[in-house]
Amino acid sequence: MKRVFLIITTISLAFTACKKEKGCTDLLATNYNADAEEDDGSCIHSGCTDSTAFNYIATANSDDGSCCFQSGCTDPAAYNYDPSACYNDGTCKYNLLLSFTHTIDGNALQINEMIYSNTVGQNYSIQTLRYLISDITLHSANGTSILLDEVHFITISDSSTVNLDIQDLNSANYTAISFTMGLDSLKNITDLYLNESFFPSFAWPDFMGGGYHYMQLEGDYTTAFQGYATHTGGTDGLDFSFTKNFPIAINIENVNTTVIINMEINNWYSNPNTITLTSDGIMDNANKQALLQANGIADVFSVNINY
Amino acid sequence: MTKRIFLITTTILLVFTACKKEKGCTDFAATNYNADAEEDDGSCTYAINGCMNPSANNFDPLATIDDGSCIFPQVTYGCTDSTAINYNPTAIVDDSSCCYVAGCTDTLALNYTPNACYDDGSCTYFTPTPYQIISPSGFPNMDIPSNNPMTVEGVNLGNKLFHDKILSGNGMQACASCHLQSAAFSDTNQFSTGIDGLFGDRNASTIINAGWNNSNFWDGRASSLEEQAFDPVTNPLEMHDNWLNVENKLNADDEYPALFKNAFNIDYIDSNHVVMAIAQFERTLISANSKFDKYLRGEAQLSPSELGGHAIFNTEKGDCFHCHGTQMFMDNLFHNNGLDPEPFIDLGLGKITNDASDNGKFKTPTLRNIEFSAPYMHDGRFGTLEQVVEHYNSGGEYSSTVDPLMKKLGVGLQLTNQEKQDLVAFLKTLTDTDFITQ
Repeated sequence: MKRVFLIITTISLAFTACKKEKGCTDLLATNYNADAEEDDGSCIHSGCTDSTAFNYIATANSDDGSCCFQSGCTDPAAYNYDPSACYNDGTCKYNLLLSFTHTIDGNALQINEMIYSNTVGQNYSIQTLRYLISDITLHSANGTSILLDEVHFITISDSSTVNLDIQDLNSANYTAISFTMGLDSLKNITDLYLNESFFPSFAWPDFMGGGYHYMQLEGDYTTAFQGYATHTGGTDGLDFSFTKNFPIAINIENVNTTVIINMEINNWYSNPNTITLTSDGIMDNANKQALLQANGIADVFSVNINY
Repeated sequence: MTKRIFLITTTILLVFTACKKEKGCTDFAATNYNADAEEDDGSCTYAINGCMNPSANNFDPLATIDDGSCIFPQVTYGCTDSTAINYNPTAIVDDSSCCYVAGCTDTLALNYTPNACYDDGSCTYFTPTPYQIISPSGFPNMDIPSNNPMTVEGVNLGNKLFHDKILSGNGMQACASCHLQSAAFSDTNQFSTGIDGLFGDRNASTIINAGWNNSNFWDGRASSLEEQAFDPVTNPLEMHDNWLNVENKLNADDEYPALFKNAFNIDYIDSNHVVMAIAQFERTLISANSKFDKYLRGEAQLSPSELGGHAIFNTEKGDCFHCHGTQMFMDNLFHNNGLDPEPFIDLGLGKITNDASDNGKFKTPTLRNIEFSAPYMHDGRFGTLEQVVEHYNSGGEYSSTVDPLMKKLGVGLQLTNQEKQDLVAFLKTLTDTDFITQ
């Protein structure tokens, strides 16, 4: 009798020792049990369990109230931000402000003031500054680019032209901005821009090659009785436009991102070529146009970003 | 014995009763199927689909379920009064539709008759004929206000108004009195004389390709041709009337109410529509068929002198093109071309903008038909083109707002006599005789 008891006890102990701890063994479950050796199907996966919701999770078995039925742009910094949207559908579009500024020796331009002087010592004032910037393009790290504006006309007498509000931009890793001063030979064609605001005042007579002025920079110099007109353009059909590319990280996912494109006016007249102001016209002077082009390429433009 | 018989009878009855089968309808499909019935007694009744309305043509007395198939006798409803316009002889039941007034019942029609209940097909609609403005080669699209689309009726009305003295206070002056077609719609007098014998201090502007003007008047104070046309009618120096009086005269006129109705679909003529019609007419005053245009189209040759003038005009030798460039021969901008030293007698644009840097600036006029639009400049100070050329040739006067393009003040272009003649010869190729005469 005693012997039978021992056998039963032994068998019982053996069974008890071998019994595995049961529970949820999924590390991702909310009720994961680190001691559990055998999954008993009790794992709880929280999430949206409504298959009609945008954020439905097929593996979720416990609804956490997160179901979202309104898709849209959920980024408050985007211009198409939808406050009622809870699911970002990737449609967010961003604004980018381009601001064209003008300095002389680093100071903001003041018009009609005989307070400036160039490298040859001529005093001068500025009454008129109008110019065309074309092919304004954003470049991204992946090699793609976006044309922001084909042709933009800037005149300091109309403050609305010194800002260019670009909308509808996709988020991307933008790494550079480029633009062309003036119009390249494909664009610099008479009557191509008849309905733009710079027609007719910017037209360049066919007699001198046609197309449009790139820039009209005018004022008085030396004494108030002499005017100068630094008018650049495609003299006799030649192409004196030039393209500048500025590598600079541009994060547009910010409400106030502003790309500042500055023209340092005095640099038109120096480096590498020293240019003397004259009351003689330069529109028909290809040599003068080439000198101005070289100066423009050198250091007239700079780009900065404000957030 | 009796007792025994009774017992037997009772027993038999009981046996019979107990054995008697329950009778009834045993067809499961019948409406009166009896689940307890053991023997069918022929009482089964079945559902019959059909028309159950006794007043229908196809009333089925046997039907137990109305299946919506009823067909009713044709009763024609309509107007049964033979004196009504819409009397229906076949109508049996009057539906109160009888109508006794015929006319146009479309509220969108010009002749909508509010109390008409019967449309007699007489409706006529406001369908003015569109007037197509075709931009000449080298011209932009004309910016026509969306609330004043061009129509043939509007243009013709504007033409009539432009030439009608009814717009002036004493009935003696029309727009055309000071904007003579023969003078490129300008005045040959330096200053135009108004109905009261008074005159202003500016030369009447030409009206040539004015549809492309960004602003009007020498000082640009009217942004549109409509706005411009409001001014001379009431100006004490010009037609010196008031708009209420003009409206009354036009509304009382024999012809104008119908013309305005056709052009604008209005029943009362107001000043807004008067200036709209005049502006429409002015937009048709397009000049683009001068000798120079024909030269550009390869239809005419320019003389050596004219070609010489063209070269001076279109290079910085004469530097005319910066303000009078393109085939529009104007830049839609304002300039001080060095006519006077300060202080200016006429502030021009500066008086409108209150900006001292605009003082002495005036709107660039087109040079088209310049041969006929003498005298020249805002104040008509120059009687001849030679005088105009001489002004630029001698350089002009310094003032704080003089245009930098007047580069050599007091020195000027220094053209030879031949070059000056060539320039004038070129300017005369801008004459468009069709425009002046038609």
